[in-house]
Amino acid sequence: MSAVSLTGAKAAGSTRFGGALVYLRTMALFVLAWYVGSLFVPSKLLLPSPLAVAAALRDTALNGELFGNALISLARLLASLLAAAAIAVPLGLLMGRSRLWNDLLELPVEMLRPIAGIAWIPLALYLFGIGHRLPLFIMFYTAFFPLLVGTAAGAAAVDKRLIAAARTMGLSGPTIMRRVIVPAALPAILVSARLAVAASWTAVVAAELVGAPNGLGYAIEYYRSMLSTPTVMAFIVTIGVLGFLTDKGLRQLSKVLTPWAQTGAAR
Amino acid sequence: MSAPKIRLDSVSKSFGGSVVAVDKLSLDIRDGEFLAIVGPSGCGKTTVLNMLAGLEPATSGTMALNGKPIEGPGAERGVMFQDYALFPWRTVRGNVEFGLVYGPAGNGLSPAERTERVERTIEMVGLKGSQDKYPHQLSGGMRQRVALARLMASEPEILLMDEPLAALDAQTRVILQDELLRIWGQDRPASERRTVVFITHAIDEAVFLADRVAVLSSHPGRLKQIVDIDLPRPRGDATRRSGDFARLCQSIWELIREEAYRATMN
Repeated sequence: MSAVSLTGAKAAGSTRFGGALVYLRTMALFVLAWYVGSLFVPSKLLLPSPLAVAAALRDTALNGELFGNALISLARLLASLLAAAAIAVPLGLLMGRSRLWNDLLELPVEMLRPIAGIAWIPLALYLFGIGHRLPLFIMFYTAFFPLLVGTAAGAAAVDKRLIAAARTMGLSGPTIMRRVIVPAALPAILVSARLAVAASWTAVVAAELVGAPNGLGYAIEYYRSMLSTPTVMAFIVTIGVLGFLTDKGLRQLSKVLTPWAQTGAAR
Repeated sequence: MSAPKIRLDSVSKSFGGSVVAVDKLSLDIRDGEFLAIVGPSGCGKTTVLNMLAGLEPATSGTMALNGKPIEGPGAERGVMFQDYALFPWRTVRGNVEFGLVYGPAGNGLSPAERTERVERTIEMVGLKGSQDKYPHQLSGGMRQRVALARLMASEPEILLMDEPLAALDAQTRVILQDELLRIWGQDRPASERRTVVFITHAIDEAVFLADRVAVLSSHPGRLKQIVDIDLPRPRGDATRRSGDFARLCQSIWELIREEAYRATMN
C-alpha cells in the first residue's frame, strides 16, 4: 500500500544517516546557488545573500522574535487543524458511508471547496477584525476540505469484505463504524491531514499578513515595511522548516498509528 | 430423521432482473453434517453461501434456520471468506478475538474466559507464538489459519466456508484439510459436531471432507444431485489412497464434466 507516502518509495538501501546526507547535499547546493546568484543582484534589498539571512535568523532567534512568532503561528495551525478534524472527520465518515449524507452535502462541499481560504479574508476582516480569530478561521476553512474529502473517500473505499465479515459476527452498525470503518479509513485520513497541514501553512501567512497583530505572516509584512529583506527571508525560511517538520511529524504519527499500512507492507 | 438444521426451499437469486445465479434450489442441511457444495464456475456456489450468511437476500423462495426464516446475518452462522477478509490493523490475536470482544458471541464470557478461549483457539490452529503479528507479516497458509481461528473462536452453530483452501499450495492444502476435519470433530460422535457448509470447486477436496456433496450445475445454478460420501471416519491419507475415494471423485466428475468442458472452451 503506497497510500501513506506521498513521495513514493524510499530509495533502496538508504539508511537514516544516508538520508540525512542527501538532505544536506541538496541544501548545500541550493544555498550555494543562492549565494552566487546574490552576488550578481545589485541591490541587497532584492536578494540578500544567505549570510545576511543567517545573521538575521541569529538576531531574531536571540531576541525571541523568531520563536515567539513561530510558536503563535504553530499554535494557530494546530488549533485550527484539530477543530477542522473534529468536524470534518465525522462528517466525512458519514458522507463516505451514507448515500443520504453524501447527497445532502456533496453540492455545497463541491462549491465551497474550490474557493481558496484566503478569498474569505476581506469578509472575515469585517466579521472578526484583526486578531486571533481571523487567521484561525481562514486556516480552519483551508484544512477542512482536504480532511472532509479525504476521509469520505477513505471511508467509501473500505474493503466490503471486511464489513461483511463484521456483519456475520453480529456487530451492530455503530460498532462496525467504530471498529471497522474508522481503522480501515485511518491511513487515508492521515494522508488527508498531511495535505491539510501543507495547505494551512500557505494560508497562515496570507491570513496573518493582513489580519493578525503577530505570527510569522505578520513578521514578514512588518519587516517588509521596514525594508529589511534579510529578516523577511529569515521568517520565510522558518516557515519552510516548520512546514517540513510538521509533515515529518505527521508521517511519523501515521507510522505509529498504522504500522500495518506502511509502504511495502502488502495485505 | 430429525428436522433439518437449514432448509432451502425453492430459493432463487437473480442479479439485475435478468441474470439468474441460482434457480429454485431446494436443499436440507442436517444438524452436525459436513456438506460440501461443488460445481463449475458460474454455478452460484458463493451466492448460495452469501444467502445462507444473510449477506444477500434471496429473490424468491424461503430459507430457514432451525425453522426460523433467515433474514440477515447472525453470529450463530460464522463465515470464512475465500480471501480470509482479515482485519489488517489487528494482530493475529486481535483478529481471533474480534467477534468475542465486539459481537454477541462473547456475551456472558468473563475477560479471563475470553482470553482463555482465544489463546486455546490460536494454539489449536497452530499459530502459537505468532499472536502479535499482523496479517501482512504472515504467509498465505498462516493467514488462512487466522481466519479459521477467528471463525472457531466465536463457536458458531454453523460454519459457512467459501473456498477457504483455494488460495493455498497443494501441500498446505492437504495438511489443512486434515486439520479442518480434526477441528470439526471427526473423532467425536456426530452429535457433538458443528454443521459445516463448505464451498469448493475441487471435487477431491469435497469428497475427502464431506458427509454429502451437493453438485450444482451452472448458468443458472441448479441442484444436479446430492452424493452421499460413506467413506469411514476418521479420514486421512489412507482415505485419499482408497479405491472408494477415487470412484466417488470420478462419479462426481462425470456429473459435471460436460459443463466444465463447455465453460472452459467458451
